Amino acid sequence: MKLSNVIAGASAAIVAIQAAAYALRGEPDLLRPPGAHGEKDFLARCIKCGKCIEACPYRSPAPAPQGAGIAVGTPCIDAREQACRLCEGFPCVRVCPTGALRAVEGHRDVRMGVAAIDEELCIAFQGMRCEVCYRACPLIDEAIVIDYRMREGDAIHSVFAPSIVQDACVGCGLCVERCVVGEPHTAIRIVCDAERARTAGS
Amino acid sequence: MDITRRQFVKATAVALASAAAAGTLSSLVGCASGATQGDAQTEGRKYTAVCRFCGCGCGVICEVKDNRLVSVTGDPDNESNKGLNCVKGYYLAKILYGEDRLTVPLIRDDASTKGTAEGLREATWDEALELVSAKLKETWKADKSRLAFWLSGQQPITEGYACAKFIKAGLLSNNVDPNARLCMASAVVSFMNVFQTDEPAGSYADLDEADVFVTWGANMAEAHPMLYSRLTARKLSGEGVRHYDLGTITTRTSASADKTLIFKPNTDLAIANCIANHLVQNKLYDEAFVNDHLQFKQGAENIGNATMDDYEQTEAGKTAENVSAITFEEYAERLSPYTFEYVSELSGVAVEDLRELAEVFADPDAKVMSLWTMGVNQHNRGTWMNHNIYNIHLLSGKIARPGCGPFSLTGQPTACGTAREVGTFCHRLPADLLVANEQHRRFTEAVWDLPEGHLDAIKAPGMHTVKIFREMSKGNIDFLWSAHNNWAQSMPNLTRFLGMGEENKGIFDTFIVVNEVYPTLSTQYADVVLPVALWVEREGQFGNAERRSAVFEKAVDPPGEAKWDLWTFMEVARRVLDGERIGDKDAFDHLFGFIYDKDAADFKGDDRETNRALWEEYRIFSNPSLNERAQAINESAKLKMEAKQLAPYDEYLARHGLTWPVREVDGTWMPTKWRFSDGAQEDGFDEVGVATYGTPGLAGGVSFYKSTDMKPTVVFRPYEPPAEEPDEEYPFYLVTGRLLEHWHTGTMTRRVPELDRALPEALLNVSPEDCERIGVADGDMVRVRSRFGQFDIKVSTAGRTEPPVGIVFAPFFAEEALVNLAVQDTYCPLSKEPDYKKTCVSIEKI
Repeated sequence: MKLSNVIAGASAAIVAIQAAAYALRGEPDLLRPPGAHGEKDFLARCIKCGKCIEACPYRSPAPAPQGAGIAVGTPCIDAREQACRLCEGFPCVRVCPTGALRAVEGHRDVRMGVAAIDEELCIAFQGMRCEVCYRACPLIDEAIVIDYRMREGDAIHSVFAPSIVQDACVGCGLCVERCVVGEPHTAIRIVCDAERARTAGS
Repeated sequence: MDITRRQFVKATAVALASAAAAGTLSSLVGCASGATQGDAQTEGRKYTAVCRFCGCGCGVICEVKDNRLVSVTGDPDNESNKGLNCVKGYYLAKILYGEDRLTVPLIRDDASTKGTAEGLREATWDEALELVSAKLKETWKADKSRLAFWLSGQQPITEGYACAKFIKAGLLSNNVDPNARLCMASAVVSFMNVFQTDEPAGSYADLDEADVFVTWGANMAEAHPMLYSRLTARKLSGEGVRHYDLGTITTRTSASADKTLIFKPNTDLAIANCIANHLVQNKLYDEAFVNDHLQFKQGAENIGNATMDDYEQTEAGKTAENVSAITFEEYAERLSPYTFEYVSELSGVAVEDLRELAEVFADPDAKVMSLWTMGVNQHNRGTWMNHNIYNIHLLSGKIARPGCGPFSLTGQPTACGTAREVGTFCHRLPADLLVANEQHRRFTEAVWDLPEGHLDAIKAPGMHTVKIFREMSKGNIDFLWSAHNNWAQSMPNLTRFLGMGEENKGIFDTFIVVNEVYPTLSTQYADVVLPVALWVEREGQFGNAERRSAVFEKAVDPPGEAKWDLWTFMEVARRVLDGERIGDKDAFDHLFGFIYDKDAADFKGDDRETNRALWEEYRIFSNPSLNERAQAINESAKLKMEAKQLAPYDEYLARHGLTWPVREVDGTWMPTKWRFSDGAQEDGFDEVGVATYGTPGLAGGVSFYKSTDMKPTVVFRPYEPPAEEPDEEYPFYLVTGRLLEHWHTGTMTRRVPELDRALPEALLNVSPEDCERIGVADGDMVRVRSRFGQFDIKVSTAGRTEPPVGIVFAPFFAEEALVNLAVQDTYCPLSKEPDYKKTCVSIEKI
């Protein structure tokens, strides 16, 4: 059977990233609009002008609230509320006057972060046919793939386990927005990675 | 990498197990607790049920605390799903608790408010029932051809049975049809044409043993989630198991298929003939099987299209069902034009792919399972295409044996159990019987204790679904009652049927009664809305695609004043039949006195007793020895009614569902997994059926004892084109369908917050090439127009469904993107099922 295409890319490295993300058990870094080159670089450049927020047709970014420290007022995305929809031409990037958001060529070049699945919460790992994140993914079969495996202790049913392909995931967060699990947190979250973000668009 | 993956899987399992042991899973995920249960001391009372949604028929366990459903989990003892669910089943409990549940009867005083959310006022049950009864009685007495009932493949079995009895025996009307006409009719007509008995020979167990799966126009990965999990398990655990996906669009099912064959619309007919031609011309068919079991026919051809209202009066329409016997040699001759080269050119599928698929059927050792649903059934030649799939399985002898078989999937939880088995169709009586057949009427009269000849008044079939709505639009229907469906969203050609044009305003004059649980588009056109119990708020039964009948127990009370649907039908029946006689007896009491006390306006027993009493009467149809008069007719007319034998009601409760025919062997009721297949009954074979009616020792160990001369019919059906083909004005085919998160018109699933969040909007999938050509991009709103109507929708190129150039896809769950405003109501001339897959449309950015 030829299922290799759908698990190609799912590697030990991904497992490690997912484990690391949840070992922290804290909120991941603020999710920035496309084109940000890591938190440090972004904060140094962003002047909190709000133009990217106004430019977004989906009202995805919002000013970071009180309590965000130095980041207060900078654009951040609550993916659960409204994920980035990776608009053609990136209107948010186009209006940024300071280069806090730098040009991104296409939606596959965005590097907002990487999705990570909490396998204890994800109902697909319990054998439910869910995979909502996979089907919602704008890079379906590229950034999220299905790892088909037999269900433990069941000879006639398989588990359709979603799996993140680290190199392809752009971190738009649509999977987070759509995840059916909400408590205590979504079964999939976006982990930001400054090092990786610096490669955005390059 | 393999080793890493295994370790990974193991680690995951451990993590899950420890989380479950600590009781964390159930607390973390709220409503449902997956396969594990929490602290036994805090558990509520549990009830056995069947999922409310699709045709898979997954068993579930409902947990109730304080008259509230707190969790629904997979039933490990139900053979159809063995404890698993999809995400819809996982959140089942929440369908009961949408904020806008209908709990009080509603009446519309001003018909001009139809089509709006306004105009309905609260009423008492008495006022609503008196009004409905008066209108029905008035229509019935004045001209009963102007009344209609539209029922459903979601209506529980005993409720459908009681409705059929009321309408057919009480009102002596055949103007009843179910929404199953929109999904399964082509399958049914084909089953009857080929086998003279409805429903598959095989069962879901075939999925565990097949070597090759062929899906024909079926997005099983989304529309039949648990069955696809089972199919995938077979691929993972079996050696060299393959899956070919055939369709006009690339779907999530294609995503894991070994090979996807995209064909041009309607050329599936030619592809199946091409396989048959390969088998026949090269003598690769199963000769012994053909000799022992098959007869050959051809039918009327060039039968035109049922687009215009007068189609059935045209010469083509009047003769469309005709068939005549031919020899095998003549059949071979008819097939001969369907060479790989010709069919490749016609279909767009490569010669080598066609050959590879044909070789699958030619391999005598390969166990092949074909699976199909709406791509085949909702087809202007839907019945023909069902035939053509049976043809290749019959020629190759790949049928009625474990792992082998053509398997018609169903889309609703009880399209089989109720619409088809109970017979809520305009041409049917219970248990496959037909109104037009005199012996069938005599048999039904015997079971219902009616005077001989009573049912002769209904020997002419009534109006099928599309005809009901066409006639309504023309002002020819005075009374319509619908239950368990949402026709104002699911019917095609809604622009006409909802009276949105200059003409066809009939809907505003028809008195419409809608039994519902939530406000829907259909309640917006209702004159009376009756609030009813949803799912486990009463006891009922579903029958799924593998002939499995299963009971869902009543677990909680309905909210407010909502009532059991069956009570509403009984209350109207007793009023309408007041003063009527059957023979020398009171009509209502004669039909329903065994369950209903009309003076008390209530059932004589509780839900369980009422259901059991109805079931036991219904069961006589398939156990005629329980009724002397019925048995005499069964024998003299050779009806073989035990072919669909059902067990006593309590067996289903104890056994969590049974696949018919269920046979009593040494005091034990045993289900059948493979009809017509000789072998031990306890292993799931049809030992009793073959011994009673069939001939043992024939090729394949099979005996088609219900078929005429015990021989199923191979009918040659040619390729004929779609009803309309793209042109300059309407350059795209529009395909509509279902997606995993939502079920049908979304009336239940869109009220579950998690499911609504998971898929909040309906999108039009367009190929990137077409997007570029017509100047639209992902996220743009477009207007889709056809010759029938138009709707607005947002474009997506995200790739969940990938139509080829020239085809677009949209789901039908969203009332705000009402695709059926534009979908044609052209139907298959044989099955009268509309073609939802091939309406020609234009697309423009708005």
